[in-house]
This record gives sequence, C-alpha cells and structure tokens, in this order.
Amino acid sequence: MQKKSNVILRLVVLALILFVVNMISSKLYFRLDFTEDQRYTLSRATKDILHDLDDVVTVKAYFSEDLPAQLLNNRQDFEDLLLEYENRSGGNVVYEFVSPNDDEEIEGEAQQYGIQPLVINVTEKDQVQQLKAYMGAVLMMGDRREVIAVVQPGVNMEYDLTTSIKKLSVVDKPKVAILQGHGEPSLQGLVQLSGQLSVLYDLEPLDLKQKSEVPGYIKTLAIIHPKDTISAEEFARIDAYMAQGGNVFVAYSNMNGDLQSGYLSKGTSIGLQEWLRNKDVQMGDQFVVDANSGSVTVQQQNGMFNFRSQIKFPYFPMLSEFPDHAITKGLEGIMLPFVSALSYIGRDSVTQYSPLLMTSERSGLATTPAGVSIDKRWTEADFNHGSQTLALALDGPLVGNQRAKLVVVSNGQFIVNGNPPQQISPDNINFASNAIDWLSDDTGLIDLRTKGVTSRPIDQLEDGEREIIKYINVLVPILLVLVYALIRKQRYASKKQRWMQGNYK
Amino acid sequence: MNKIWIITRRELSAFFDSLIAYVLIVIFLGLSGFFTWLFGNNVFVIGQASLQVFFQIGFWTLFFFIPALTMKMLAEETKSGTIELLSTKAVTDWQIVTGKFLACWLLVAIALVATLPYYMTVSQLGTVDHGAIVGGYLGLLFLSAGYISIGIFASSITNNQIVAFLFALLIGIFFQLLFDVMGFNFRGLSGAVFNYLSMRTHFDSLSRGVIDSRDLIYFASVVLAGLTVSQAMLSRRNWQS
Repeated sequence: MQKKSNVILRLVVLALILFVVNMISSKLYFRLDFTEDQRYTLSRATKDILHDLDDVVTVKAYFSEDLPAQLLNNRQDFEDLLLEYENRSGGNVVYEFVSPNDDEEIEGEAQQYGIQPLVINVTEKDQVQQLKAYMGAVLMMGDRREVIAVVQPGVNMEYDLTTSIKKLSVVDKPKVAILQGHGEPSLQGLVQLSGQLSVLYDLEPLDLKQKSEVPGYIKTLAIIHPKDTISAEEFARIDAYMAQGGNVFVAYSNMNGDLQSGYLSKGTSIGLQEWLRNKDVQMGDQFVVDANSGSVTVQQQNGMFNFRSQIKFPYFPMLSEFPDHAITKGLEGIMLPFVSALSYIGRDSVTQYSPLLMTSERSGLATTPAGVSIDKRWTEADFNHGSQTLALALDGPLVGNQRAKLVVVSNGQFIVNGNPPQQISPDNINFASNAIDWLSDDTGLIDLRTKGVTSRPIDQLEDGEREIIKYINVLVPILLVLVYALIRKQRYASKKQRWMQGNYK
Repeated sequence: MNKIWIITRRELSAFFDSLIAYVLIVIFLGLSGFFTWLFGNNVFVIGQASLQVFFQIGFWTLFFFIPALTMKMLAEETKSGTIELLSTKAVTDWQIVTGKFLACWLLVAIALVATLPYYMTVSQLGTVDHGAIVGGYLGLLFLSAGYISIGIFASSITNNQIVAFLFALLIGIFFQLLFDVMGFNFRGLSGAVFNYLSMRTHFDSLSRGVIDSRDLIYFASVVLAGLTVSQAMLSRRNWQS
C-alpha cells in the first residue's frame, strides 16, 4: 500500500529530473552522422581550408534575436557551425552575433553591406505583425570583405561559409581563360559556372585572334560551345600553350539537333573535331540515344483541351552512374542533350585515358540526317550498341614532351545559361567546375561542391515493369503477414489435435 | 527483467492469437503501400531512390495505428477485473506496464520489418543513402515508442477502450501537430519550448540520417514520463489517501 501523496511526490520529482536532463541535453549534445556523404559533418575541403588559414577571419553575423522557433534553429545551427570552424582553425575564425533590430546604427550597417531583412508574418496578441528578420553575415580579413546576404539552412550553410573564407584567403587566384571570338557564350552567359569558379579562380575572356599566344600564367583554357570556325593559327597557339604544359577543357557538340524544326543533322565543321583527332580523340557522327533519358514537355490536344505532358526522349541521355574519378566524385545526375560518342584511339602507354561520362548499357546510335519524331515508338533494337562515352580525360604528353591535360565533353550547351539566363541543374555545373579544378591541379573544393546534392534518380523502367514493382511492393508485405497468420493457425490446430489425443508435451 | 519478458511474450502472442494484430498490420501496410507506391506523390512520381515518402506516410499512419493498439492494454484488464488477478502474482505494476509497452513496441517493429521489401526495391532502383533510411526507420521506431507510452497512459486512466483511444489521439495530436504549429507562431522561449516538444522536430532530425543525443533523450523522456504516470494510475487502486 502506498500513499497518494508519495506517488504524487515521486511524479513531481521525475518531472523535474526529466526537465533538467532535457535542458542540459539541449546544450550538451553529440551527433552521429550516418548519411552516405557525411552531409552534416564538415567536409574534408572545409577542414583543409581552415587548417591552411594563416590570418584571422572575423565573422560578424547579423541575426535578429526574436525569431520564430524554426528560424531560431537556423541561427543556432550557424552558431554551432561557427564554433566548429573556430575550433578547427585554431582560433583563426572568430565570430560575434549582433541583432540589427535593437539598434538603428547596426541595422544601417547591415543594410550597407547588402544584408536585407526577410519580412515574415508573426501572430502576436491576436494580431498579425510583420517582423524584419535579419539572417546575414559579413566576413572580414584585413581590409577585404565577403558578404553572405542570407544564411541558408542545411548543407548550403557550410558551402557558403567555406567558399567565402576561401575567397578571402586566396590572394593571388590562379587564372582560367574562356576562349572567345567564335560565337562562344560570354562570361555573363555562363552565370552559374563563372559564379562557382570565381571562388578559386580569376576568369578572363581570351580572344586568340587578337592575342598572339595563350599567356603562360593561364592554368586552364576553356573552350565552351564555339559555333564558328577556329582558325589554324589559333589552334597552333593552343598547341603551343599545351606544349608548355597548358591544360584545355573542351565542351563542344559536332551534332546539330533542333527540336523546333524537328530536324537532326551533323553540324558544320569548325575545325575542332579535326584538332581533337590530332590528340587521338574521335568524335562520332551519329546521335547517341539512351533508354535512360530525360524528357521533353509536349503540348497535346485532346478534343477541346490542351494539356502538357512529359515524354521520354532518348536523344537526351540521362547519366546517373559515373566511373570513379576525381572529376565525377559525388555527382548524381547529368543530362546531355543531342550528343555524339567520343572514343580514344591513342595507343601510347604514357598518356593516361579515363572515360568520365558514359551512357547506360541500353544505348544506341541514330544516323543523320533524320527527322525527329516525338511519338516514335522506341524498341530494344534501338538500344543495342552498349555503353557510349560522352566525356573523357587525357593526361600525358599530348603536344610535345611536356605533360598536359585535356578534358573533352561532347556537348557544349549543358553549362550555358544563355541570355536571358536559365537555371541549369547543379550537377552539370559541378561536373565542369570539377573538371577545371582537376585540370588546374586544385581539387580542394570538389568534396564540398557535390556534398548534399540530393538528387538520387531512380532507373528508368518500362511501364509494365513499373506497374509490377508497384503492386509487388503493396501486396507482398500484406501476403507475408497473411501467410504467417495461416502458419500460426495450422500450428495451433495441430497442437489442439495433440492435446485432444491426450499428448500434452 | 524475466517477468517483464514473460508479460511481453504473453501480450504479443495474445495479439497474434486474436485478429487485432493482423487487422491492424494489414491496414498499416495497406495504407503505407498505397501512398508510397500507388497514389499521389509516390516513389515513381518523385523519381528519387529514397524512402522519404514512406517515412512521411508512416509518421501519420502510426499516429492512428498506435492508439488502436494500446487502447485495450490496461483498460480491458481493469474492466474485466483481470488486473486484480494479475496483481495477485508476484509482479509489480511497473513490470506490467513495461511488459505491455514492450509488447506493443515489438508489434510495431514487426509491422515495420514487413516494409523492408520497400527498402530492397528502392535500393535496386537506384543508389540509396542507406544511412538516411536507417535513420528513418529509427525515427519511426522512437516515434512509436513515444506514442505507445502515451497510449498506455490513456488506457490506464479509464476502463473504456473507446475513451482510451480518443484520449490517446487527443494527447497525441499535441505532439504530432499542435506543438509544431505553436512553435512557429510563438517567439522567444515559449516558441523554442513548443518546438522542442513537437515530435516532428525530432522525427525529421532523425530521418535525415543523423543520430542526435537530443532526439534520443527527448524520446526516452516521453517514454519514461508516459510509463511512470501509467504505473502511478494503475497503482491507484492500492492508494491510501
């Protein structure tokens, strides 16, 4: 027998203990990160960059204090991250939090740096009020400054912070040249790529018609989506550059696919294909089609109604599995529209050849010229050429005796934003940036760049196969339970029979 | 410990000897399967090799499934008087409550094991993040533990199963939804407290694939609080004022 008051006392004590334990645990905690890419743990790239810091970076975080709980978590995460940076950098990262809402002077300062408040609605005393939420930060090193206008939650937080620190700490950035003068997109046309590359490099346009050589300080020359003929002199200059150990990135398609006119043909030669053949890289003259492909949106009419539908389009190979290489590390999905196949025909043992992008085993080659029909019924016979290479890397004495590196992708458009700019899938950009990092011998950011890309596309299946998988998954677990029920019932029945026979074992 | 285990086994086989376990598991699997594979934003529509769809569905189906499982645990024993019979044996109230808790938890675990074909399928369809899937399953397991202890508490205060079911849902809806909403609407300390109390905060954190000591302590606290109060309510027949 126990007394009621005792019971109540015990409950109150327990409640207090739980309260205190939870209070302590919210301040003192540990995390185990089981995600495959260690998404919530600092990446190798960040650790290296922090380790190499040789001057103090001051981070001034402009965060409003009185935020709703969810946004408060963002602040907490940012503070946790900064604390970890401080520890990792041996005190070379220092930070402070200020609240712009309390002080007009600080608010002015934040806005001067370009940190704009987010306006959010909060309910207070039954009235919806608007609150200015500041969530930005300024990083300072000496007299240089980097601004993170809005601190994004999740993986972006580490990316933004680390790249900002990197930008501050690199004084003399290596140079990457973008070839111009043959209808290539300008730096503005490559907004995403140039944004990503500017963390590590200074990008500069290079017109070889006006310059007599590729300057020796250029780490990598990028030839992206040229349309007009590149002259023999220009190629000679590029070769001279490579003979000195210069590296070249080529993104070019020799095919001409036009969805508007619905006509597929070989593109006119601009000399690049021949230049590549001198380097033992052969570009095919057929379109690669892959059963694992992207889709196109088609307007269809059914009676009075117009509707849009997505139709799989094998001319847009969708690559989701990648060979093991620094450039492809962490990539999850790239789509390359209208491409031809690449092959390496070199035989010398000194040059190292690595395929980078390959289509699925169910790939085929479509001849040109041909009309393109969206409604075409594709069959297995269309995909019987096996896996095709769409990008490759070479490392060795490509011109002369000096070691040089070359990356070729048989599509030029996949990294071009165009004008007006269109958003491109982040993995396309990551691939090109990784390639330029590899070419320029600076692979430090590759880890971080592809960290937390969350796309994990599932394989393409035939309609029938998909339906079968769906129903198997719905029904099999239920059947398992029913089978178990039946077995149990059987066992019970036989036990009952034994008992009735007087056998109680 | 041994006694707890005996009660657990007895309760579990009682589930499987009656129709309850089968009906509930089949409903759970049917709903999860339907929403994960056939209806709306299913795995193929989203096109990603992950089980996030299933975990979000499970988050809600378990919320309804568990009160139906726990509603009879103590209420029926009190009503039919078998609780008196049970307490003539050398078992304590704490052992009874814990045994019943474990039986329910095992049943939920069995129901979740039956969804492993989903895991096998998506890992065949693409490259999955195994850590995130393990985290998701752990999240569902801990979430269930929390709701089972709440359900057993609801069952301990009444001898009517329907009342126990509804009461468990009523308490549950705070943890499931309302604290989350309040966490967003209130600011400062109260907002942070509500946000901390919400199951979703901790479930989401686990199902990313990160095991955080804060989440584990939160779920353990909910279980411990629920079971202790249930035990206290069960022992009230012995109270002296």
